[in-house]
Amino acid sequence: MSDTVTPPEALDTLPKLLNWNAVNRKDAPASREKLYGIWQSFTWGDVRDNTRALALGLRDLGLTAGDRVAIIGSNRPRLYWTVPAAQMNGAVPVPVYQDSVAEEMQYVLEHAGARFAVVENQEQVDKVLSVKDRLPELEHVIYVDPRGLRKYDHTHLHNYTDLQEKGRGREGDLGPEIDKIVEAGTYDDTCVMLYTSGTTGKPKGVVLSNRNIITASRSSVEFDGLKASDSVLAYLPMAWVGDFIFASGQAYVAGFSVACPESQDTMLHDLKEIGPSYFFAPPRMFENLLTNVMIRMEDAGRFKRWLFETFMDHAKEVGGDILDGKNVGFGAKLKYALGNLFVYGPLKNSLGMSNVRIGYTAGEAIGPEIFQFYRSLGINLKQLYGQTEASVFVTAQPDGQVRADTVGVPCPGVELKIDDDGKVWYRSPGVFVEYYKQPDKTAETKDAEGWVDTGDAGFIEDGTGHLRIIDRAKDVGKMADGSMFAPKYVENKLKFFPNILEAVVIGSGRDNCVAMLNIDLGSVGNWAERNNIAYASYTELAQHPDVYKQMKSHVDEVNRSVAADDMLSGCQIHRFVVLHKQLDADDGELTRTQKVRRTIINDRYAPIIDAMYGGAAEVFAETPVTYEDGREGKISATLKIEDAAVMDRGMKMAAE
Amino acid sequence: MVDFLIFLEVVLNGLMAGVMYALVALGFVLIFKASGIFNYAQGVMALFAAATLVGLINGQVPFAHMISAITGVKVHHFGWHINAFLAIALTGLVMFALAVVIERYILKHLVNQEPIILFMATIGLAFFMEGFSDLMWGSELKALDVGIPKGIVEPLDEATFNAFGYGMYIDWLDVYATAIAIILVVSLTLFSQYTKTGRALRAVADDHQAALSVGISLRRIWVIVWTIAGIVALVAGIMWGSKSGVQFSLSLIALKALPVLILGGFTSIPGAIVGGLIIGVGEKLFEYSIGPMIGGATENWFAYVLALAFLIFRPQGLFGDKIIERV
Amino acid sequence: MLDATQQGYTTPDGRKIGGPVMEMKNITLRFGGVTALQDISFDILEGEIRAIIGPNGAGKSSMLNVMNGFYHPQEGEVWFRGAKRGPMKPHAIAHQGIARTFQNIALFKGMSTLDNIMSGRLTKMKAGMLSQAFWFGKAEKEEVEHREAVEKIIDFLEIQAIRKTPVSRLPYGLQKRVELGRALAAEPSLLLLDEPMAGMNVEEKEDMCRFILDVNDEFGTTIALIEHDMGVVMDIADRVVVLDYGKKIGDGLPADVRADQAVIDAYLGVSHD
Repeated sequence: MSDTVTPPEALDTLPKLLNWNAVNRKDAPASREKLYGIWQSFTWGDVRDNTRALALGLRDLGLTAGDRVAIIGSNRPRLYWTVPAAQMNGAVPVPVYQDSVAEEMQYVLEHAGARFAVVENQEQVDKVLSVKDRLPELEHVIYVDPRGLRKYDHTHLHNYTDLQEKGRGREGDLGPEIDKIVEAGTYDDTCVMLYTSGTTGKPKGVVLSNRNIITASRSSVEFDGLKASDSVLAYLPMAWVGDFIFASGQAYVAGFSVACPESQDTMLHDLKEIGPSYFFAPPRMFENLLTNVMIRMEDAGRFKRWLFETFMDHAKEVGGDILDGKNVGFGAKLKYALGNLFVYGPLKNSLGMSNVRIGYTAGEAIGPEIFQFYRSLGINLKQLYGQTEASVFVTAQPDGQVRADTVGVPCPGVELKIDDDGKVWYRSPGVFVEYYKQPDKTAETKDAEGWVDTGDAGFIEDGTGHLRIIDRAKDVGKMADGSMFAPKYVENKLKFFPNILEAVVIGSGRDNCVAMLNIDLGSVGNWAERNNIAYASYTELAQHPDVYKQMKSHVDEVNRSVAADDMLSGCQIHRFVVLHKQLDADDGELTRTQKVRRTIINDRYAPIIDAMYGGAAEVFAETPVTYEDGREGKISATLKIEDAAVMDRGMKMAAE
Repeated sequence: MVDFLIFLEVVLNGLMAGVMYALVALGFVLIFKASGIFNYAQGVMALFAAATLVGLINGQVPFAHMISAITGVKVHHFGWHINAFLAIALTGLVMFALAVVIERYILKHLVNQEPIILFMATIGLAFFMEGFSDLMWGSELKALDVGIPKGIVEPLDEATFNAFGYGMYIDWLDVYATAIAIILVVSLTLFSQYTKTGRALRAVADDHQAALSVGISLRRIWVIVWTIAGIVALVAGIMWGSKSGVQFSLSLIALKALPVLILGGFTSIPGAIVGGLIIGVGEKLFEYSIGPMIGGATENWFAYVLALAFLIFRPQGLFGDKIIERV
Repeated sequence: MLDATQQGYTTPDGRKIGGPVMEMKNITLRFGGVTALQDISFDILEGEIRAIIGPNGAGKSSMLNVMNGFYHPQEGEVWFRGAKRGPMKPHAIAHQGIARTFQNIALFKGMSTLDNIMSGRLTKMKAGMLSQAFWFGKAEKEEVEHREAVEKIIDFLEIQAIRKTPVSRLPYGLQKRVELGRALAAEPSLLLLDEPMAGMNVEEKEDMCRFILDVNDEFGTTIALIEHDMGVVMDIADRVVVLDYGKKIGDGLPADVRADQAVIDAYLGVSHD
């Protein structure tokens, strides 16, 4: 079987693709799992046999067409097999976030009306059982790992492998039924239901059809030239649409193998051992990896550090261009090759990225420095803009057109438009069917012609046709003079500096913008230690004159870059303070996913904001805090207010 | 170019001498790690091993003097010669027997005693073995030849002479000694890393109580360790004995191991090796470059001065466990 | 000394407890003139979790050291599986299937987690010195087999992420877990735990309790453990022996022991006349 042959177009469901793979790629690895310290492989043949056994077992338990099957747990091959196994019975798989608490889980299971739940282990069984009396429709729970479950009541609880065994025994009578269902499957059947984690309100069940998933997978496999010999490490939540596309959709089309990490803690180690060729991670992951490298380099010997710095400087200069295939001159190429031998190669190996052919980052904006770091090493990291409602793909960066500040051009088959409010809309074959049981919400998001509102504000760049995202549309406001106010856009730029942990920009309805900053205690503390700067508390460190000096240079730099954009140049920061306490989810200032809660902050820090707009040089602030043990107290300090350098609107870039 | 060749020759000779030092130091480290004993008798063990080997090869009658003194019968040799390999294997057995005897009659009775008492015991052991060795095999200078080639490595000498006009001098014996020492160290390392006995050895070195609790017999481990130390001593004895004959001064190589231990740390096997190499190369280079200016013979004291400097600036050695005294 | 409980009993959660595994009969242990243990008798039954508790200095650790042969009592007898035990060496006792952990973690600091747990399997390894030395046939096959057993323990204790980490770099709680792993590696029929929860925070204690219960449940291992934190013990132990100043002052079910006046006095530090 050649590496790049794609299955015939007529195969329009995952079970059909699985059967095709089991014949045409019978002995090629399909999934890997580390068990007792050793990687175990399952071929496509194994996967089909296992899946079929499970499908028969589920049928034996009474699973029928139209039922929903919840899948709860971390990335395990057996949980992935549940997806086609459910579909082979005409049922709909519903992966659920495994770290959700019992109440959240109950909402999803109840809303989806799941009759079956296939879960990973005792922890998940306990969670489901704890809310079972509020889930009248839930009948059977099947677990993969039997540990600790021996003594549980097994009337409605089943061991996964036992169930498969039972299923194999029913091949004779139930097998033909299943074959018939698989045969009858079409593009219009529901493939999967994925609940969006949603920042506001209850999660919504996004219904994606086979057409959505399979066409999106086919065109993206073609776009990036994915092939059977590629490999991925599936470590992001199974309930997230990206994981579904990579580990089920694309894997079934391209035939590449999906490895599951041994446990959450060993992920980095497993990454190194597997060395995937196709890799996806959110910006935070790339950030953490880079921080690890930097910390290790600070501890390294002088020679090693010199080597690292010399070659990294060179990589920064030419690495990106070499990756894009531009001509950089023989000397530079030679030096890069040397660097590859001594620095980039070993570094990529220890990051587990030696083999990465295509890497994607998405979900949030990535810091340009971080983005460039990986690219300069020769790792083909690109940006992707997507949504659950689009079966992931809206825009992506083609090879050779990769930049930190755009999210790329429309993916094959995707149409884009920007409405009068600056909101981004798209239309594609991947566009979702509906929100389950919520026609009103569906109508709000998707119009009659099939256009979907992303909820993001953005614009298409002249000349290149690349999409640039500014912020969530509802967070984009107007300043007093009517120009655009996009706080998150500016905050992200600030947060890209490693010593700024959090930033809040204020300016809606005002003449100009001001900002409140949080220092990153790890990074600034480390700096203080290296420079022998003594401090007794977070507050004292935050108010240190040298810290202010650093912050001012960061703010000035951000102003310069913001001013370069005509539309956004009004968002430059005129004055700022460094806050005396860290914004904290425990105090209600951030959401649990670390997003800024603007109304609460505007309210609580009103005296500081007023002082900044009032022109004062400093301000006394007193803020309530909740300690880790639940006690409450107050932190107070006098904060300096600093002026920042602002570029003229008319003469953008003039200063540079 | 000639200067460079001379320099290279000095360094190479230093490295090879260093390997020998390392070999002796290794014997110390093994025993120190496993039982916390600084084995003063390590040098004498090398002497005893070498003397036994010569005796076996030459078919010497043990205790010949004693026998003639008591019985009046004059016997010196059985009149046969034993193959060198067989003799080496037999000597290995003798070292094993020695380890058993040492464990049974000395160590067993001294469990949980202060280190200084154990040290004193090994001094006693050293004197006893020295006398015993003389009694058994006689105290005269004996030549040892197990068939390792000796003399200048001619191809190298010729090649360098033809090319650069200076023939480098390297002795075959040193080359072989180095190769054998490397094989020995590598196999010891593999043994200790990848076998259950090796793991037990490391376990005992780390924590006696815990080792007992997982079923390791300390006495058995001590016999094994002393046997290994005895075999290392045998190898060292063969090398030094082949070079300069078997005589009392061979036991003094133990003194050369001291600075190596101070450099490398008493508990580190890599330390013993690197320490040995540093001292070997260091003293040869020092003698070559500084020696002529201060009247030579610096090899006698260089190692000790270097060790002294180390004691002042890095008392735990290059690789030894860091000593942190909390007050 | 026989009483009804020695025939076994059924625990409230339905586990069947069998006959005696170890019996301590009138144990007296002296160090010079100091009597550490005085005339103590109790038994440990097949499949139970037996706790030995008492305030600091009550003689709990001495008792454990008698059980695994570090100390030899001057008077009294230790019976193991129906036979009187002579003065055996600790390593020989380990070969009888008794494994232990230590109050002040005694791991092999120079080794990785994996090697530490591997060394716990020494009593199970058979290959002779010679075949090890040349790493052939039996020795290699044995390493692979034992590695498998060790991997199951690593999985059981959820320490995959620290498999290759030198134990000296691990935080305290994890070191304790590795030590438990090393003891489990010997597949002991009797597991002695010396203050397994000492120095841990609440979360670590909960984890450790769960592991102890799981060990007993999954492998049917008989467990004797020492604790001075009464609360923890009462939750997981089937029966409890209470020591104070080297004497046994209580023995029975947790609830009964907790209600016993002598025990309460000992814990509250009521003076001894």
